[in-house]
Formats: sequence, C-alpha cells, structure tokens
Amino acid sequence: MSKKFLVGVLSLLLTVSLFSGCGKKDEKTPDENGSNNEGVAGEKVTLNIWGMGEEAKLLSKIEPDFEKANPDIDMVVQAIPWDQAHDKLLMAVASQKGPDVIQLGTTWIPEFAEAEVLKDLTPYIDEYPNLDPKNYFESSVGTTNFDGKYIGVPWYVDTRALFYRTDLLEEVGYPEGPSTWDELKDASTKLAARGDGQYGISFDLKDQVFSIPYGWQNGSEIIKDGKPLFNEPEYVDAVKYLDSFFKEELSPVQDDMDAIQAFKNGSRPMFVSGPWMINIIKDQAADIDGKWAVRTVPAKENNLSSVGGSNLVVFEYTKQEEAALKFINYMTEVETQVKWFDVAKCLPARTEAWNDEALSSDPFFSAFGEQMKNSKIAPFIPEWEAIAMEVRKSLEEISIGGADIQTELDKLNKTVEKMLEK
Amino acid sequence: MKNLVRNLNKYKYPYIFLAPAIIVLLIFSIVPIFLSVGISFTDMNIKGLANFNNIDFIGISNYIELFQDKDFTQAILNTVFYVVVGVPFVVLLSLTAALLINYGTSKIFSFFRVVYYAPAVTNIVAVAVVWGFLYNTNYGLLNTILNGVGIDGLRWLQDPLLAKVSLVILAVWRAIGLNMLIFLAALKGIPKSYYEAAKIDGAKKFQCLRYITLPQLRFSTFFVTITTLIGWIQFFEEPMIMTEGGPLGQTNSMALFIYQNGFKQSQFGYAAAGSFILFLIIIIVTLIQFRMNKENVWE
Repeated sequence: MSKKFLVGVLSLLLTVSLFSGCGKKDEKTPDENGSNNEGVAGEKVTLNIWGMGEEAKLLSKIEPDFEKANPDIDMVVQAIPWDQAHDKLLMAVASQKGPDVIQLGTTWIPEFAEAEVLKDLTPYIDEYPNLDPKNYFESSVGTTNFDGKYIGVPWYVDTRALFYRTDLLEEVGYPEGPSTWDELKDASTKLAARGDGQYGISFDLKDQVFSIPYGWQNGSEIIKDGKPLFNEPEYVDAVKYLDSFFKEELSPVQDDMDAIQAFKNGSRPMFVSGPWMINIIKDQAADIDGKWAVRTVPAKENNLSSVGGSNLVVFEYTKQEEAALKFINYMTEVETQVKWFDVAKCLPARTEAWNDEALSSDPFFSAFGEQMKNSKIAPFIPEWEAIAMEVRKSLEEISIGGADIQTELDKLNKTVEKMLEK
Repeated sequence: MKNLVRNLNKYKYPYIFLAPAIIVLLIFSIVPIFLSVGISFTDMNIKGLANFNNIDFIGISNYIELFQDKDFTQAILNTVFYVVVGVPFVVLLSLTAALLINYGTSKIFSFFRVVYYAPAVTNIVAVAVVWGFLYNTNYGLLNTILNGVGIDGLRWLQDPLLAKVSLVILAVWRAIGLNMLIFLAALKGIPKSYYEAAKIDGAKKFQCLRYITLPQLRFSTFFVTITTLIGWIQFFEEPMIMTEGGPLGQTNSMALFIYQNGFKQSQFGYAAAGSFILFLIIIIVTLIQFRMNKENVWE
C-alpha cells in the first residue's frame, strides 16, 4: 500500500469533477517518467511537454490529430498538479534539463523569464504566423513580453466574472444582476436581510488577485513606475468598500462553506470567479439549472477584471526547438483553439476563435468573452507573487484582525516599496 | 602514522560495515547541510539557480533581516507553542495507551492496538480532508455535537488561538500510534520475574507501575521524547495542508515559513538562513536533553 497509491486513490476521490478542464484545484500524482530524454527513435523526435492540472490530461485528445499533421514528432505529455508545478519547474531550472515546451501560468512568467530560461520567440514569428501577438487579446499579450523579448504564446485565458442566482436577484430587483458598485452593495444588503446565515456575496480572500481589480475599478494603478500605490485614496477606498461588506455582514468572513453548496442553497447567491466554475456548477448543482447566470463584474469608474490563464513557452535548453515551435503553432491555430475549448472548456486566447458558434452562442462563456475585452493583467514583475501574498496578509489583518485600514495599507506600502527596491 | 595504519587495518571490518550508512549520510545530509549554510550567506534566488554568476555573497544580512521579519518571529513563537503543548501530550498519551493495551491479551486489546496505530499510517492528505470536515463551522461534526448540547459552535480553524490548538489535537492524534508501539515493545521487554517478586512482597498494582514499570521504561521514554521533540520542532504537514499558516499567520511554523520562502517565492538564500537557525535550535534542544538524561539513563 504505497503512499503514491493512496494519494492516487484519494485524488480520484478529491477530483472536483471529471471534466473540470480549466479547474485549478485538483491534486494528482504525476507519473515520474523521464522528462529529458534526447529521444531520437528512428525518424521520430520526441517532444516533451509539461502541462499543469486537469487540462494537461486532456491534451491526449489533441495528440492523435497533432501527430497526424506532424508524423515526425512523438509528443509526450506530463501532467503536473498545480500545487507541485512550481517545485518541479525549479528543479528543471536548476538542472538545466527539462521538457521542451511548458505550460506556464501567466503569473509565474516574470519569475522564470527573469531567470532567462525561456526562449525568445521573436525570430520565429515570420515562419510560424500563429505566434504573431496580433492574434491575441490585448491584455494577454501583456503576459508575453518581458524585457523586450517575446517569451511565450498565449494558449488559453481566464478572467473573473460575476456568477449570480437569477431567481434570488430578481426578488431584490436585479434580474440582470448588479451592474455598478452601488447596485452590488444594495443587492447584497437586501439579500443579507433575508435572515441569519444569509449573505449577499462571498468574497474569496484566499484568491491572490482578489482586491486588485477593485482597485483598478476605482482608478488605482496599484504599481506605477516601480512605486506601489496601496496607500493612495483610490486603492484605500476600494478596500474600504470591500471591508464594508464584511463589517455589515453582507459577506461571510473566513468562510469554510463549500462554494458550490453555498451557491446552490442560496445563502451566498453571488461570487466572482473564473470560467472553470461553469462546469463545476453544472455538474454539482444540476437542480439550480436555469436559475443562475454569469455577467461582467460591477463597474465603478470601469469594470476591469484580472486576466490569468496559461501561455506556452519554450524551455531555453531544449534540443527540439523546431518540434516545439510546430507544437505551439498547432495549438494556437484557430481550429485547435476551438477544439480545445470543446475538450477542456478553456477560453481561447486567440480572438478569432471567439467568432465560433460554440463560444458565441454559450451564454455563460460568452460573458467571459465580454469580460475579456475589459481586463488587465496583474503587475507583470517578478516580485508580484510575493507582493500578492503581502496584500493578502494585509487584507486578512483588516477583515479578520480588525486593523485600521489606512494604517495597515501604509504599512503594506512600505513593505512592498522595500521589496521593489531590491 | 604507522599506528594509524595498523589501527585501521585492525578495525577495518567495522569500518567496512559502517561505510554504506556513512556514505549515504554524507551525500544526502552532511554535505547538503554545509551547502545550505553556504547558501544562507548569499542572495540566491531563481536567477542564481539558473546561472551561478548571478549569486552574490551578502554576509549575514539574511540573518539580520530574518530577525526583523515579523512573520519569522511569529513562526518561532508558534513553533514553541506547538512543542510546549504538543510534546508532553504525545508522550503522556502514548504511554497511557501502551499501558492500557498491555493490561490484557484478549482480542479487544489487539483490536485497539490497531485502532490507535491506524492514524500513524494513514496518509496526511486523507486525514486532512476528514478533519477538515470535522472542524468545518457550517456542517462539521464537532459543531453539530456542540449545537446539539446547546453550545454555540466554535471557529476551529478560523480563530487564531483555537486554530493552533486544533492543529495540535490533530497532530497528537497522529503521533500517538507510533510512540505507543515503541512503549509497548519496551513493556514486553520487562522481565516477568520482577513483578512476581513484587507480588510476593505484597506490592499493589499502582506500586508495581510506580517502582518497576516506569523506571524500566526510562530509556524508551527518553527516546520517544527526543524523537517527538525533533519532529515537532519541524512541525509542517498539518499547517501546510489544513491552514496554510493562516489565519493571520497564527498557525505558521518555522518549517512552513522556510518552505514558503524557499519554494514558493524562490528566496533560497533567505530560506536557507531560516533553516540553519532551525537546525541550530534542534541541535541545542537535543544536547540539553542528552545532558539532562545523562545521569539517569546511561548509568
């Protein structure tokens, strides 16, 4: 009864759902087969790909088509769980041996780009037209540039939109969902008044970017010219607005209720999350079918949301450059992008793919397409992951610890300043 | 020199037998310890990992920064709490469990031996899922029971102090099994004739326990205390899986702090400095233990 077997069995039990394509919350043991063989078997070259999470497992559905189009390439995919991916990548960097192509979450890109382990793809754009940045959402192109190098191609995107219970919001007068901050507040107040244990919206404090879009919506730039603006009025007021939800009990603090359950029983009729939630709700809360919808996030000065997703990058030390580029070029074909949406329910990064019937006619996913037009990337600097952690801590101090908002954010700003000086 | 050679020759067999263990220890423990001490005086991060030319020697500034880092001091204090509260409980409870199980030989006793040992071999991820449900404030078993008796539910993993206690409860529950087995083995090793002699002299059950059993268990108690202490100073799995160090960093332990800085934020130099401090603490605590137990264990 090895540990691995146990973890395997467990993760089967834990897997949120069979097809939570772009889900980020799953645990699986990767199979530790070799990931750096030179692999020239006869005429074929072996292309090693590291994918993350659930979607990597679905890559096998793309494999036959790709290998038919490229008979000289044998693609080998290793699916690595998100929570172990960072460690594995560090090892690849340290040993300078690793896969040829890596799926990299957008927030990790600056860090690995700074370490100079991602190939600059600028010279190949002419040869492989799909790589051209013009093909993609403007906000995700921001995740491909580092120090003037073009270091990764957007593969799929995600952004955060508002999920809401149409039936419950209709009762309080917002059948289309709240479209402004004031409406969100008003709707939440009315919903929370339904009784004990009933709330308006649930905020995910553990989400790395949770407060950042609210800052943007209120006109803050978060970090400008290497200087943090966390203690400027724009961001402070955004935090005050969020905190009022906790203080007035419109939103639960430190909630350990299962999000889907809470949505289903109506005690938390709104939440902001990514496209991966669509299928999870469909699977796990079939009885509220037709009683929920997705819309763009409520606006203040604007309604910017944050962009995430994954890019495909070529590892600096690869020996299969050509095969790697062919693979990326194939994955970013409009046709493949649509197929990938069909298989894994990941949102295409390529704008053209959104004209396809499958996406434009889907009420849930098209809302995300709409939101993509108003979205931005979190500050694209190597320190961002660490900064996001500090921001999260400060928000905890405010919402749970009851710290004074201005004082806490002044402190946060000093900490971040120091981090950026290094 | 001649002496040395002759000596080596004379004792070559024990050295040959020891060699595999020593070589493995060198490669996987001793050398890495020295390496990480070296890294702790540098600013090594992911850039340095990719290319050694990017590593600069920065002297002891990592250490200075560590002691100014509120999160680190909090992690130390939390770890002290875990050790001070947890270790005595583990030793006492596993000793109690062993004594109770040793009293009888029927099926039920061996069944309970399995029951107590089960948590020790159950995967931590599974344990965390189940305990996560137990501790849940909305539909957890514990709060349901409390509500049933008319008490308000507790915020097991949300309240800063209670979260620490909740993790200790979980960790104690996991640690009892293994140590109980060690005590059981030691109990089985106490010669029956001691008890027979005591019975003839008219000793009661409690006196037997007090004057025979406990003194005979001195060495295993020492062993269990040392290993438990070392294990608990490196308290890691429970906060990592249950709380990620939250709420407000109140359940963060030193080992988790090192992990977060090293592997999540790639500050290898900083994390190495933290782990060297942890290493020193463990060495010091162990030495104190040996010193204290010198007179009564090694006689």
